[in-house]
Amino acid sequence: MSTLRHPSRLLAIDGVAVSIVFLVMLGYFSVASPAFLTGDNIYNTFVESISTVLLAAGLTFVLISGGIDLSIGSTIGLSAAATLFVAMTGASTLMAVLAGLVTGLVIGTINGAFVAGAGVSDFIVTLATLSIGAGLLKVFTGRTQLTGTDNASFLALAEGRILGIPTGVFIAAVVLVVLEVILVKTPFGRAVYATGVNANAAFLAGVSVRRIRFSVFVISGVVAGIGGVLLASHLNSVQPGLGGGYELTAIAGCVVGGVSLAGGRGSIWRAALGAFFLSVLSRGLQLIGVDPLWFSIVTGAAIVAAVAFDRGAQRWLQSSPRPARALKTAADASTAQNAH
Amino acid sequence: MPTSSTHSSAGLRIQSILSKPGSGIVVMLVLFVIVMAVVSPAFVTFGNWQNIANQGVFVLLLALGMTVVLIARGIDLSVGSVMGLSAGVSAYLITQGLIFPLALLAGIACGIFCGLLNALMITKLGLPDFVATLAMLGVARGVLFLWTAGTPFTRYMTPAYSLVGGQTQIAGFVSIPIIISIAACIALSLLLRRSVLGRYLYAVGGNPDAARLSGIPVNRIKTYAYLISGGCAGLAGVILAGRATNVAPTMGTGYEILAITAAIIGGAALTGGQGRMIGAVLGALTITLITNAMNIAGISSEWQQLVTGVILLIAVLLDRLTTYFKHRQRSTEIAAAVSVDPTAKPVQHVMS
Amino acid sequence: METDPAEKASLVSSRRRFLGTGALVGTVGLLSACTTPPGGATSNGGGGASGGGAEGSDDYTAAIKKLVAGRELQVGFTPPVLSEYYTQMENAAFTRMAQLEDLYGVKWKWEKSSPTGNFNAVEQQISTVQSWTSREFDIVFICTGANFATMQGVYKKAMDSGTKIFQFNQPVELYPIDDVNTVSNIGYDNRWQSGYVAGKFIADTLKGQGKIIQIMGPAGSDWTKARLVGFNQAMSENPGLEVVGSADGGYLRDKGLSAAQDLLTRNADVNAIYGENEDMALGASQAVDAAGLKQWDGNQGVVIIGADGLLSGMDAIRNGKLTASVDVNSVDNAIKMIDTAFQSIVLKNYVPKVSNITTHLVTKDNVDAYASYINGVMSPAKKY
Repeated sequence: MSTLRHPSRLLAIDGVAVSIVFLVMLGYFSVASPAFLTGDNIYNTFVESISTVLLAAGLTFVLISGGIDLSIGSTIGLSAAATLFVAMTGASTLMAVLAGLVTGLVIGTINGAFVAGAGVSDFIVTLATLSIGAGLLKVFTGRTQLTGTDNASFLALAEGRILGIPTGVFIAAVVLVVLEVILVKTPFGRAVYATGVNANAAFLAGVSVRRIRFSVFVISGVVAGIGGVLLASHLNSVQPGLGGGYELTAIAGCVVGGVSLAGGRGSIWRAALGAFFLSVLSRGLQLIGVDPLWFSIVTGAAIVAAVAFDRGAQRWLQSSPRPARALKTAADASTAQNAH
Repeated sequence: MPTSSTHSSAGLRIQSILSKPGSGIVVMLVLFVIVMAVVSPAFVTFGNWQNIANQGVFVLLLALGMTVVLIARGIDLSVGSVMGLSAGVSAYLITQGLIFPLALLAGIACGIFCGLLNALMITKLGLPDFVATLAMLGVARGVLFLWTAGTPFTRYMTPAYSLVGGQTQIAGFVSIPIIISIAACIALSLLLRRSVLGRYLYAVGGNPDAARLSGIPVNRIKTYAYLISGGCAGLAGVILAGRATNVAPTMGTGYEILAITAAIIGGAALTGGQGRMIGAVLGALTITLITNAMNIAGISSEWQQLVTGVILLIAVLLDRLTTYFKHRQRSTEIAAAVSVDPTAKPVQHVMS
Repeated sequence: METDPAEKASLVSSRRRFLGTGALVGTVGLLSACTTPPGGATSNGGGGASGGGAEGSDDYTAAIKKLVAGRELQVGFTPPVLSEYYTQMENAAFTRMAQLEDLYGVKWKWEKSSPTGNFNAVEQQISTVQSWTSREFDIVFICTGANFATMQGVYKKAMDSGTKIFQFNQPVELYPIDDVNTVSNIGYDNRWQSGYVAGKFIADTLKGQGKIIQIMGPAGSDWTKARLVGFNQAMSENPGLEVVGSADGGYLRDKGLSAAQDLLTRNADVNAIYGENEDMALGASQAVDAAGLKQWDGNQGVVIIGADGLLSGMDAIRNGKLTASVDVNSVDNAIKMIDTAFQSIVLKNYVPKVSNITTHLVTKDNVDAYASYINGVMSPAKKY
């Protein structure tokens, strides 16, 4: 209630500040470049950002549980290769899609087994699988030219239209909603939060921390697999370095959206927003014709500004009178309670 | 380490050795070297180990700083770019006629300054470490691109710089970069183990809230960590400029991941409070050895990435044995302590 | 870049001389094949227009000027990375654009964008092309490491909406030319004009006998693939040559140095090193020095050859740090690129789908000629 009487307190709600920065940015680009709001650009922006948005969403599970998954960059590339390879053999679209999903599932399972089963550092394990995946992709594409298929139903996966919306965007949106529901509405989701907040406490409260740690890597892998399928359908070609560096963009997107690398904090829609934010930023800067030499500096500064505003707003509200803090503490308490 | 065993049984002694952090990596490295010696005798020549040492110092220096930051529960993604920028600073200043030692100092100062900016963004603006240093990664790289306009800095090499860059060996067997790395390693090791700052770094990383409550100036400690990391990156940069003999705008790209990997192989963790300098050395050695060995064994570059990943997995799995033995060691010790001296205090797990 | 004052003065005067000639003779540069020896870089290019005796006359200039009618072209230039090679190209392009503007009144608006290496390198170029298409650019010059098939889709959309794509320095020889959705591709054949040249030079210098190590670019890149085809062809023609080691030097000098050190450890008796670009070859050169080996002195030592044609590489050749290099001609690449676009977009002429320029094998004997050829364009009359 109090948030309605004091509009500034809206900022205390996680994600609102970043959303505001995002809208301001959209406004600025729309004014600064007439090409920004054209249908073509909007279409391209959405379609091209699907991969990193999906990766960020899958990664969010891992991050909230207190882990990290670097392998997603090569997982998406390898899944795309597997999908396209099967599609090019003339197999059905369903088989092609399954090939991509299974690839993601396998890599996610390997990660999960090493991290949760053997208890090895997730950073190193997923860095190793990142390297193995990228290496496999290189060797694979070096032997087979993945130059595309004519299978129309396969190509329609990403490039078709539903109600005027590109199918790929539609599918990605559905995946995001499902993930958000799993994270927020299920006991499993709450256990993921609990594990990230305090794994020991979660364990004592009866959460099977190992199972959770295993599952989040599987989810991350499968979502990367979905991303790979859509990417293969969109590009209809796969190259040796496909997906390289996506992991950093996805992590950056998550962090911009307020997902904490220390675990326990974040949500799917904010991670997706963060990744989309970076995508729009990069496009917008190009449309307004920023000198490429300035590009990485401006990008860096913009990320800092956005996140600083977000954190600044929260800190300012927390240091000034109660309601915001009370609201947050209550939220934390309910999360903790749900976890038990 | 508190767990020095008093038992004479050989089995227990081996267990005790294997329970030391990083010993799994040592075992892995020894096995690796034996295999490579069989594959190619050239691998175990003195000349090759000289090469490995000279190639590895850059990852090592970055990993030393990274370990300090990781101990304090931070992460520094900017080290690769900062290394490139520092290299650019000293190279450029030499071409502008600044005397050599000052140019080197300016390069190192540039690294420290970048570290300071990282720290300010994190402590004053409240940015997550990842975001602040990611932004710095972009900014430092961008500045180098703007400054060089895409064309590498060249023509700054002098005989003195060849010496600093490790191209000329001293007394035929050791180079300045190796001496500097050893010195940095010892200095930081002493800092971590013997100084108040060192204890505070572990405390801040182990549990920031507890550290804050017990009166440790958390922000200041974190700032020191980033200054050290920036300084290490600056130092690595000025040496790299001497080795590469030109400063391309892309210099140092991707080194941040190598540095983090080396630190984590060496026992540091993203969750803070853990890590040692000797671990960073082992980590950097592992990474450098893998590439060197693959080149010497004649593994085609197409396969190298894949093989790197597999070796990394094997390495971390072997290192898991350490923890396995550590648990056994501790339980044997507790049992022994209890049976010999009923008044003995339980063995505590001390930060290492 | 350092140029001594005397050299600079002579460059300036040679440019003035050219502009003077330009005014007199008109369109030497635009229309005829190169008749001037290297050094008069600005007079090269050969747009390959109508030909015949009329070119260069005042009438012709005036007529073309009328056709151009002061048209302004919005141009985007996107190389895969910012490097010395592409800086040389850009300056050569500016030199040529300034001449065309001077002669025919065509106006240029130039924008450059290239991935700066942090993340999303390839995607950044795709979205660059899309952005420029949205902004209705007339011309996009592109060279990219992105997948061939991926780019064809991007190109097609751009071309359909009126933004004309020209590729430069792109190994199109690896693909069926009918699949390439560009107006034209300006470059050289990486197989026979680069890789083969390097292999042949090593064979000739070593009289067909010896051990070779290769320092290659990142595995899987089209340039590496194409150049290797040519290099391997030269190897198979000379069975006395043996490639004893190969490593990835990532196109960077320090990585090239480390890779060469590793390979030299096992093969200390190597006779030649092929660096796929000059930076890696220069790294290899340092490794040879550090290993206490002698570099090629005309009779013996290790032969080191790179490829690029950078001013810094030419310095190294002059100083005996590099035996030779395949200069893939940044200058002609750029001039031909501008001329082709001018012919195609402004004059609506029919340009070849592939235009290959001349590449040079640079050694100590001819390095001055090709270095001054590049220096001739490094201070263009106008920057865009």
